[in-house]
Amino acid sequence: MSDTPTDRDDTDTATENADSESFFERYTTRALVAGVTVAAVIALLLAGMLFPDSLAGTLSDALTSRNTLASALRLSVPIAFAALGGIFAEKSGVINIGLEGLLIISAFSAIYVADITGGVWIGFAGGVVASTLLAALFAVVTIGFRADQIIAGLAVWLIALGLAPFASQVIYGSPNTPTVATTNSITVPVLADLPFFGALFSASPSVYMLFAAVFGSWYVFERTAFGRWIRASGENPKALDTAGVSVTRVRYAAVLISGVLAGMGGAALSLDLGQFTGNGPTMVNGKGFIAIVAYLFGNYNPVGAFFSTMLFAGLDAVQTVLQLQGIGIPRQLIRITPFVVVIIVLALVGRTQLPEAAGEHYETED
Amino acid sequence: MATAVHLDGITKRFPGVVANDDVDLEVERGTVHALLGENGAGKTTLMNVLYGLYEPTSGEVRLGGEPHVFGSPRDAIDAGIGMIHQHFMLVDPMTVTENITLGNEPRKWGGIAIDRTEAREAVVELADRYGFDIDPDARIEDVSVGEQQRVEILKALYRGADTLILDEPTAVLTPQEVDELFDVLDELTDQGKTIIFITHKLGEAMRAADEISVLRDGKKVGTVDADATTQEELAELMVGREVLLDVDHGTAETGAVVAAVSDVVVENDRGVRAVNDVSFEVRGGEVFGIAGVDGNGQSELVEAVTGLRNPDAGEIRFGGEDVTTASRRQRIDAGMAYVPEDRQERGLVMEFDLVENGLLGSQHGDELVSNGRIDWSKTRGHAEAIIDEYDVRPPDADSDAESLSGGNQQKFIVGREFERDPELVVASHPTRGVDVGSIEFIHERLLELRQQGVAILLVSSKLEEVQGLSDRLAVVYEGEFIDVVDPDETTEEELGLLMAGERPGDDDGEGGTKATGSESADETERDKPADPTDAADGERA
Repeated sequence: MSDTPTDRDDTDTATENADSESFFERYTTRALVAGVTVAAVIALLLAGMLFPDSLAGTLSDALTSRNTLASALRLSVPIAFAALGGIFAEKSGVINIGLEGLLIISAFSAIYVADITGGVWIGFAGGVVASTLLAALFAVVTIGFRADQIIAGLAVWLIALGLAPFASQVIYGSPNTPTVATTNSITVPVLADLPFFGALFSASPSVYMLFAAVFGSWYVFERTAFGRWIRASGENPKALDTAGVSVTRVRYAAVLISGVLAGMGGAALSLDLGQFTGNGPTMVNGKGFIAIVAYLFGNYNPVGAFFSTMLFAGLDAVQTVLQLQGIGIPRQLIRITPFVVVIIVLALVGRTQLPEAAGEHYETED
Repeated sequence: MATAVHLDGITKRFPGVVANDDVDLEVERGTVHALLGENGAGKTTLMNVLYGLYEPTSGEVRLGGEPHVFGSPRDAIDAGIGMIHQHFMLVDPMTVTENITLGNEPRKWGGIAIDRTEAREAVVELADRYGFDIDPDARIEDVSVGEQQRVEILKALYRGADTLILDEPTAVLTPQEVDELFDVLDELTDQGKTIIFITHKLGEAMRAADEISVLRDGKKVGTVDADATTQEELAELMVGREVLLDVDHGTAETGAVVAAVSDVVVENDRGVRAVNDVSFEVRGGEVFGIAGVDGNGQSELVEAVTGLRNPDAGEIRFGGEDVTTASRRQRIDAGMAYVPEDRQERGLVMEFDLVENGLLGSQHGDELVSNGRIDWSKTRGHAEAIIDEYDVRPPDADSDAESLSGGNQQKFIVGREFERDPELVVASHPTRGVDVGSIEFIHERLLELRQQGVAILLVSSKLEEVQGLSDRLAVVYEGEFIDVVDPDETTEEELGLLMAGERPGDDDGEGGTKATGSESADETERDKPADPTDAADGERA
């Protein structure tokens, strides 16, 4: 056939197109967001060096300050812990939007237990237990009784949102608890004196626990059979079931782990300050929901979730600095920047690879 | 030879139904045994009993002479039975190795971590032993359906299966992949594995199996030697009466042009031209067939005609009007019926019952709806009429579409569309996955419509079907009509060559085969052999 070579060429180019297209679909938006962020930061730092007195100067000062990193880390702890918990639950096929509630209940319980026992770490454990119990309730309702996961998740949030300040009111006569002892920070000599990165070496123990949890979660998903079962349970539970692994048990385990992790985040949040404040949205103030955004942006990867948490927390730390500096923009506007960025990020990333069976109940046949 | 599997008087009752009635089955070790029967004959139920998914009401399962009672698939797996379901049980984003070892991962470091090297080696070793060509690191979502099936087989072998049950394994495969599967089955039986192969396709049962057992209405009606039987005999056993495998389509008066497609170009979802400058006309009282290997633009063309996809160039006229950009609703109102190729995706709402599904497409008409309100009693009557006329089983209008078997879903859709009183029927693979008795019935109804002067556009990858039914037959290859032929004047071999992209008058056979062999971008499974025996569904005598 005379036109065979032309056919070949056509198809080859088409193959390349198809490949690059799927490549674009998979990576570009996420890479683009990351790239733009890095470029903007570099541009800002350069501008700040050239014009120290301008707005760019103020901003780059804020960005490079050790305090900014320190407060960003502090802020990421509850968000990133909750995000890790959310990853476990959702990868197994259970969407846990009750993370906010888990944070609230553990933040309060940690303070209460610390207050009555006098031990900060006992308080921490108390927070974790409380959050795990609430997660267990969520698991029974959604896995055992097959309730709608979104509604049950909202219920978890609302229960905690009502229960924690109420308990505080009953016990302490105010939605805010009295102050208890806080955790001491761990300081590595010499390294802690480094500019900027020094903040990494003089931080609360919860920061180091977070690092360990991020690595641990990554390891579980990438290297252990249990992590693989969690993935299979969220992607194609039937495949897991026919392979002889109980989907129900895997999902219970995953949701309980999400309770433990969110509990660590909540306890760390309140024990860092030594107090639980229960007014309005409580001291948790949407961190559980930001956590959901963080793990979606991190595409269910624990490390990705950690870095997207840091992006948000970094922005929040910078906006706090800017509020104090007074740069002529109304505070209220500055305060919302992290949230605006989150919305933009989500809109840009759009296509997150949701686990195929997330949100669906699984019934074993016969 | 020893008996590997022995089912003794298996009866399985469900409330109100006897799915298996005193079935005896003996399968020799190292052979392929086909379990043949129409949809709903009880083949899958019987195998689910063997696989431990169902406990039999009475009867006994013996493996190698030993009686076994299976409480769950886990027990069956431990006893060396593996089942490859029609819908694969694979986790798409995971790799081949991860899927094969799922649930039985080799461990290291005291069981904490997966030993990934060992897992990979085990898979490679297993694949080599049975001559499977498979990339252990590829993700399931990136490999073809045929490879996914081989992964399923490997998964069963990895778990130590000696007896493999394959449920309708060819339903999702291209003809070439079917060949490959049969090679794999040969290799497996050579190495002493036993295969039970569930199918409703006579030709495949004869090609692949050593022995064939036929089930009808839950009873075993016979076991025959595959070499000593004919398709006619099998068909009769299956259906319980004589079946006409060859359709005599007679002649009908052709009327005016009902639909005309001119110079139509359609791009697929990836922006690749799937249909390239195609023109044809369909007249009343005529079946215009489109033959071709799946993925050569048939789907896109049908979508353009039915209004599901806008053509990028060209014109489509229907009943004298330009409908190129007309909506689906306008086309339905104008009398265009459509039997979609994917019945579960486009033909039915799986969670709806048959009453509601029967309404679909008529919700804007005035027959079942008055003043914007659905007349449910009429709608129910409509659905029941379809069920009755088209022999949909079980005959219960309240059952959900998803509870029906594939063949019965298809009969219901065909019934709904044919009863619309259409001017034009666009039938895309109308008998895909349908048993032999129903195929005959659907073909008869199509020809009846033709006799009434309805225009029919028939797309099918079953060569026998398009050739037998069409008055004129177009062969499509890479989005273009290679030729339009008179099917009665053309041999299957000639059609096969056309389907492989060899233009008429081009006598260089080599070139044609080469062109088919080249990878195409938008459809990796497109390259199929030119051999017409593969393209046809194998239901030929």
